[in-house]
Amino acid sequence: MFLRLLWNLLRASRGRLTVALVAVVSGAAVISALINLDLDAGKKLTREFRTLGANLVVEPPRAPGTGPTAPALLDDAVLARVTALRTPEVVAEAPYLYVVAQAGGRAVVVAGTWLDEARQLEPWWKIDGEGVVSRDDLSRCLVGQNAARLLVVAPGSPLELRSGERSVQLTVAGVVNAGGAEDNQIFVNLPVAQQLGGLGKQFQVVQVSVAGAGPAIASYAARMAAALPGIEVRPVPQIAEAEGLLLARIRWLILSMELLILVLTALCVLATMAALAMERRQDVGLMKALGGSISRVTNLFLAEAGVLGALGGLLGYLLGMGLSSWVGRRVFDAAIAPRLEVLPLTVALMMAVALAGAFPLRLLGKVRPAVILRGE
Amino acid sequence: MARLVEVAKLGKEFANVRALDGVTFDVEAGEWIAIMGPSGSGKTTLINILGGLDTPTAGRAVVDGTNVATLDENGLTRYRSEKIGFVFQQFHLVPYLTAVENVMLAQYFHSTPDEAEAREALGRVGLGDRLTHLPAQLSGGEQQRVAVARALINHPKLILADEPTGNLDEANEKIVIDLFHQLHTDGHTILMVTHDLSIGCLADRRIELAHGRLLQILRARPGI
Repeated sequence: MFLRLLWNLLRASRGRLTVALVAVVSGAAVISALINLDLDAGKKLTREFRTLGANLVVEPPRAPGTGPTAPALLDDAVLARVTALRTPEVVAEAPYLYVVAQAGGRAVVVAGTWLDEARQLEPWWKIDGEGVVSRDDLSRCLVGQNAARLLVVAPGSPLELRSGERSVQLTVAGVVNAGGAEDNQIFVNLPVAQQLGGLGKQFQVVQVSVAGAGPAIASYAARMAAALPGIEVRPVPQIAEAEGLLLARIRWLILSMELLILVLTALCVLATMAALAMERRQDVGLMKALGGSISRVTNLFLAEAGVLGALGGLLGYLLGMGLSSWVGRRVFDAAIAPRLEVLPLTVALMMAVALAGAFPLRLLGKVRPAVILRGE
Repeated sequence: MARLVEVAKLGKEFANVRALDGVTFDVEAGEWIAIMGPSGSGKTTLINILGGLDTPTAGRAVVDGTNVATLDENGLTRYRSEKIGFVFQQFHLVPYLTAVENVMLAQYFHSTPDEAEAREALGRVGLGDRLTHLPAQLSGGEQQRVAVARALINHPKLILADEPTGNLDEANEKIVIDLFHQLHTDGHTILMVTHDLSIGCLADRRIELAHGRLLQILRARPGI
């Protein structure tokens, strides 16, 4: 009989309940989308953070008293070990060797690296022309936009670099706009810089971009340090800390929005239920006159609110998963997979909100049947 | 016959208005009592107190050994479901429940709903073919008969009817009064508020109230 009564109650008030349901579904959709985003945000955001560049460097040990004029170098054996240690957490890694060379009668800094990886280490680069997609391409280079202007070169131009007696003939593949010091440099694949510097298979530093927040980066650094005794492996603290701080702030923002939406949804339900409570005073007065206890009568209405919350939560979850997927594509350029564990959480939250919003219905327990049946 | 209702010096005050003032009478089990009097004489207040819908401010109202004046909220709820059957002037059916569901509602609040028994009760008041109709689909007389079936379903000790024919046309009034006549014949105890002397005269006794006081108690004339 309880379910029969409940069903009839829901049917009888379907107009008002639809209004409340729309509020609950809307709230549930946004909340489930936010929860889904929050669960995935760490992964997605740390991937986004990789656009900030390398957050880990591997460099030669700094001996006490050694100045910058005598830089130590790393060799191929270290690079081989760094490469062997690479895990899926590593977004990109590349060795760097900086040498000073002459081009068109001017001194320029030539950065030798793996140009295919450098593009991922520094994804904010805008390249006019073509990139260099292979680290084995020793005939082409990228030129920073300031250097290109001074040297009067453009994509397709020939460029000769000289360092003492050593020289290389290159073709400019593209002009780099990096918005920083890179705009003054010329980028070549590592063997070209090594040839110019006459340094054999040596280089100065390996830059690594690791996905994850501070602890994940520190953990990866510790693993590398253990595998590379005598070599300095250190996270870039400013970037790691900024990432952690930003992630915490985004999480706090999401949580605040969830709370705000819960409150707004509860207020919408509250307004609808207050109107419904006024309509139902007559029914409640009658039920109490017939011997209905306060708990039995109010449980009926609370069950109705519970159904409203559960149904709203379920429908909202379905909408929310679509919403989070859309937001994921728009913001992170990658779909966010729906998570089933968000469903019970959304339904539970919406049931709690609907029950809180149904507070006016609880006041019906105070209805005095004699007063109601008199028509007052 | 055993005494079912004992009302002694019953009083009820609302703010500064004395709705009932020292009313005293008894009702034997199986009696049909008509309560009469002008508007504001305290008829409905008396019925409400006896029905556990209201509490007195003075005196005693004992029904089947239970002093209504001493019951708390839960006690009054249990009292209403176990001892009282209400029939109201405005019918007071739940509009979104069918005839049989309205009857089952009283069963639900009393103990366990039994649809077969509810159908049978509606059959006894001549509504066997209107079981699944909503109140809006029933005439006034039919609605009042549903209310009578609902009042009887839990086998109450006392049936309280507040102007049960007040909203009915003549034909339906006769049907409903015949129904009460039959209930009386079957041994039910009925307290009925009415303005209609012809209905009052059908009762075993008429209790007349005025300004909250008991004016007189009249026995029905033989042959009426």
